[in-house]
Amino acid sequence: MIMVAMRTLKTSEAAALLNVSPNTLRAWERRFGYPKPQRSAGRHRLYTHGEVAALRDALQQGLSISSAVSRAREALSTDTHTLVGALAGFELDRADSAMEAALALRSVERSVEEVLLPSLDELGTRYGIDSAPWAFAARWADGWLRRAQRLAPPPVRPLAILVGDATRNELDPDALAVRAFELFCGRSGARVMALPVAGVSGLADVIESLSPDAVVIAGSHVADDDVALWAYRVRACAGPLPMALFRRAQHGAKVRTTGARVLPDTPFGAHRHLLAVVDERRAHRFGDLAPAVSVIEDVDDLREAQA
Amino acid sequence: MTVRRLRAVRPAEVDERGQEFVAFCGHCGLPPAREVAPQSRVCGHCGLGLVLQAPADVAPRADEPFLVIDSTLSVCAVSAGAEELLGIDETSAVNKHIIDFLVPADANAPSADNLLVLLVAAASGPGEPRTAVVRPREEFGVRFRARIGPCGPPHAALLVLTS
Repeated sequence: MIMVAMRTLKTSEAAALLNVSPNTLRAWERRFGYPKPQRSAGRHRLYTHGEVAALRDALQQGLSISSAVSRAREALSTDTHTLVGALAGFELDRADSAMEAALALRSVERSVEEVLLPSLDELGTRYGIDSAPWAFAARWADGWLRRAQRLAPPPVRPLAILVGDATRNELDPDALAVRAFELFCGRSGARVMALPVAGVSGLADVIESLSPDAVVIAGSHVADDDVALWAYRVRACAGPLPMALFRRAQHGAKVRTTGARVLPDTPFGAHRHLLAVVDERRAHRFGDLAPAVSVIEDVDDLREAQA
Repeated sequence: MTVRRLRAVRPAEVDERGQEFVAFCGHCGLPPAREVAPQSRVCGHCGLGLVLQAPADVAPRADEPFLVIDSTLSVCAVSAGAEELLGIDETSAVNKHIIDFLVPADANAPSADNLLVLLVAAASGPGEPRTAVVRPREEFGVRFRARIGPCGPPHAALLVLTS
């Protein structure tokens, strides 16, 4: 897999390209949700060049910002159509190329959330999750996510996450979201280890080696009793840790949480939420008042506006 | 106390037929700020609309709510005033059919003056401003007089709601 370098722009650069002020660009993000920036290590906004260029072209012929945003979004969604077409036609090379094209315009996180996962959802809806096209596509996507994980930068944060995998196998629709969640956590600099919740022997050695700061139980296939047993063993070895559930509810059913936090359903939202929880817990432990993610973003906005 | 914004509509240019055109923002309705970069179409006041042009006798006057509709009768822009008046968001209204929001309310109008015919004609190119009576969809007893004419670029119909 070739990771194409994605060209990003700072707020001032993106604003200059669109010929508007940085404040206008931030106002568009609030009102239209577009362009949607990533955050740099210093938590500054980073816009993808492809998104900004698509909007600039759409603005030339638009009657309103809303219609231009809609047209720019449409232009970017062609990657999803290409990937769906490639996977439906069992063409691995074309599927890889579609993801490379997506990566040229977006970050890895957004390529996964906006192209890979929606494409797989569409295939699942179109053919059913017990079909050959789904199996082919799910195996390809699982392999792609695992390769991306191997290419992720080494852990830099003093943060370790233990993921209890409660999915059936790689053909489980939740499994791809769980792989994506692991990828995003790994790319944020955390050490991530995923273990199936079915296995409890030797868990103490793993926990001693990893020293997790948080535990996430992900997937809805394994029964509550088996999950509870696994969680009990983890707590017995590691002591009280923040426990979170990701994609645990099945088909919108109410999930038994027993004090665990329920993470948002999207991998990116879940990973952001988990990092905020761990940071908050650390702040309490060290008597510091470290701000939550949303507060950090507000401060960044202010700093960027002042700059 | 309600503070009403006062604004002056500046003539922008005159076409070959001597018709006066004015520029206004497709969101706040204000004329473009003087300091706006000439190549930018984004409103310098609110930053949430593109600067459009329309004949002076059609263009929205102070605080008049308006919508911009293309030749396929899809909503392309909803002014801040129209968002408030009709209780809709521009972001969700864009690309939807105008009939989802406004319907003809004048039962006696001849078929040639049908709202949709007027909108398509206005969106197709220059022409005389026309009027129609409309009401919000799903609402009865509320009627607005609508001024309809061309605007752009690109070519579209401007529907200004007047009391």
